[in-house]
Amino acid sequence: MSPTTTPPLSLRGLGATVPDGREERVLFDGVDLDVAAGEVVVVTGPSGSGKSTLLAVAGLLRRPPTGEVVVAGQPTASLSRRGRTAVRRQQIGIVYQSANLLGPLTAREQLELAGRIRRMPRRQIGAEADRLLGDLALGDRSGQLPAELSGGERQRVGIARALMGDPSVLLADEPTASLDPALAGEVAELLATEARRRGVAALIVTHDDAPLRHADRHLHLVGGQLVDGTGVAS
Amino acid sequence: MFLAWRDLRRSWRRFVLVGAVVALVAVLSTVLAGLADGLVRDGTSGLRALPYTHLAMSPGSEAVFSRSTVDQQAATTFAEVPGAEASPVGVSFVNAAAVDGGPSLDLALFGVPPGSFLADRPDAQAALAGPPGLVLSSTFADEGVEVGDEYRLGGSDVTLPVLGFTVAGSYGHVPIAFTTLSTWQSVNYGNDPRGRVSAIALALPAGTDTAALAEATDTDIITKARSYDGSPGFTAETMTMTLIRGFLLVISALIVGAFFTVLAVQRTRQTGLLKAMGASDAYVLRDGVGQMAVVVVAATAVGTGVGAVMVALLDRTAAPVELSVGSIVGSAALLVATGVVGSLVSFRRITTVEPAVALGVEP
Repeated sequence: MSPTTTPPLSLRGLGATVPDGREERVLFDGVDLDVAAGEVVVVTGPSGSGKSTLLAVAGLLRRPPTGEVVVAGQPTASLSRRGRTAVRRQQIGIVYQSANLLGPLTAREQLELAGRIRRMPRRQIGAEADRLLGDLALGDRSGQLPAELSGGERQRVGIARALMGDPSVLLADEPTASLDPALAGEVAELLATEARRRGVAALIVTHDDAPLRHADRHLHLVGGQLVDGTGVAS
Repeated sequence: MFLAWRDLRRSWRRFVLVGAVVALVAVLSTVLAGLADGLVRDGTSGLRALPYTHLAMSPGSEAVFSRSTVDQQAATTFAEVPGAEASPVGVSFVNAAAVDGGPSLDLALFGVPPGSFLADRPDAQAALAGPPGLVLSSTFADEGVEVGDEYRLGGSDVTLPVLGFTVAGSYGHVPIAFTTLSTWQSVNYGNDPRGRVSAIALALPAGTDTAALAEATDTDIITKARSYDGSPGFTAETMTMTLIRGFLLVISALIVGAFFTVLAVQRTRQTGLLKAMGASDAYVLRDGVGQMAVVVVAATAVGTGVGAVMVALLDRTAAPVELSVGSIVGSAALLVATGVVGSLVSFRRITTVEPAVALGVEP
């Protein structure tokens, strides 16, 4: 496989369990998934099926008991905690359910912090933050604190923050769950559009309909397996 | 510190309480430092003012004048050391009762022979060369004692007039009075002094082999700084102050530690978020501990400033305080250091936060 066709995100035989009393309950097992650059994959599934855990494992936030995550061609199973942090820093952006913005930072500063953590050159950080905020129609809201932003604006800032530093993988955990239907559709469209425009592999887990309308692929996590979700309601 | 500075600026109310506590500890610590220095000064200022470098005392006397008795003739032996000066000195505490019925005085009575290098001021030399009398610490002049007043020294039949006043300081918190060595001996030994004095004060050139000199004269030779330890109450006061200041530092460290622990718990999700974004443990720690360091430094600076003003005001009263910049800065630096160490208590709590908590997923 040539480097140009290497998917930014590959899950290989991935498994995960959760404690269930004295035993471990299997959330999913043997999950294989490739997400290509610019592709938007949406995973749905019932509550407790392990969607968020799948995202945590894919985002190297949690080490899977079995299987491996390959990010931008780099296997991560044998990486140390520090090594996984480095891959996360360089390659992965995450959008959270309730934006998860930091209270004391303005919209622009949320992006600046991400740029600093991702060790972008200092001179580029401000310009990149302004460009992203402009792309996401937040240019005039850059100086506002999270408490001064609407729910939709907060989520757009969250998306912009995740895109700082040009990650190759964008993960989103229920990005529209806390929004009303109109805003949810707007945010889902924005997420998909930006992912495609930037050639980012996007993996979205949701139980909401809005992201499905913009998905290139719909998968359903049920019974510990990822199956084709076409025709399955979220 | 990007996040820490903005958090401090926009959520400063959260840090007011811990800042106020640290500032109060700094105030107390500064005043105690001033008091400790003042007590040391007050207890030993008389010795500090004398131009000796060492004292030769009885073996085992532990720098306490009342435990030491040496022969004043030993001074001639010490004076034979090239470049050295030696002078017998008698030191004792006496009560002086006013002959005219006025208030009595507690005195640290120093007996020094005429011509002694200890009496280096011309007025002191003149007073010692004349008829017997007392040269009192200038504090007595403020209390209404006048030249010519007569005092009978307790435990003896010796009555002496006040010859004058000098900036003599105090010893063991008792104002010093100078008299001639022979008068001192009369007060302490009556008509049979047999050359007994408390110690031989020495001004030795640098590099003198004091051990050999001590062995040759069968005395303990102690440095000037060591001689302060024998001042009544000196060790107890110093240890008490050190203990109180030590406890204050520990309390401050615990308060900062407790506050930071609560803050670290409250910020668990934020810490997870930063790590999920790719921040290293060091980055998150630097941000958190750096923020506490800023709070502790600012609060300590304010508290130390207020404390220094209080010490300066107290210095105008009879309270034994001293505004020593070195001591106060040292005290503040210790407070900052212990505060930062206190914030490190949460080191593990921060480093063990898993980035998965940002997603609300159990690690």
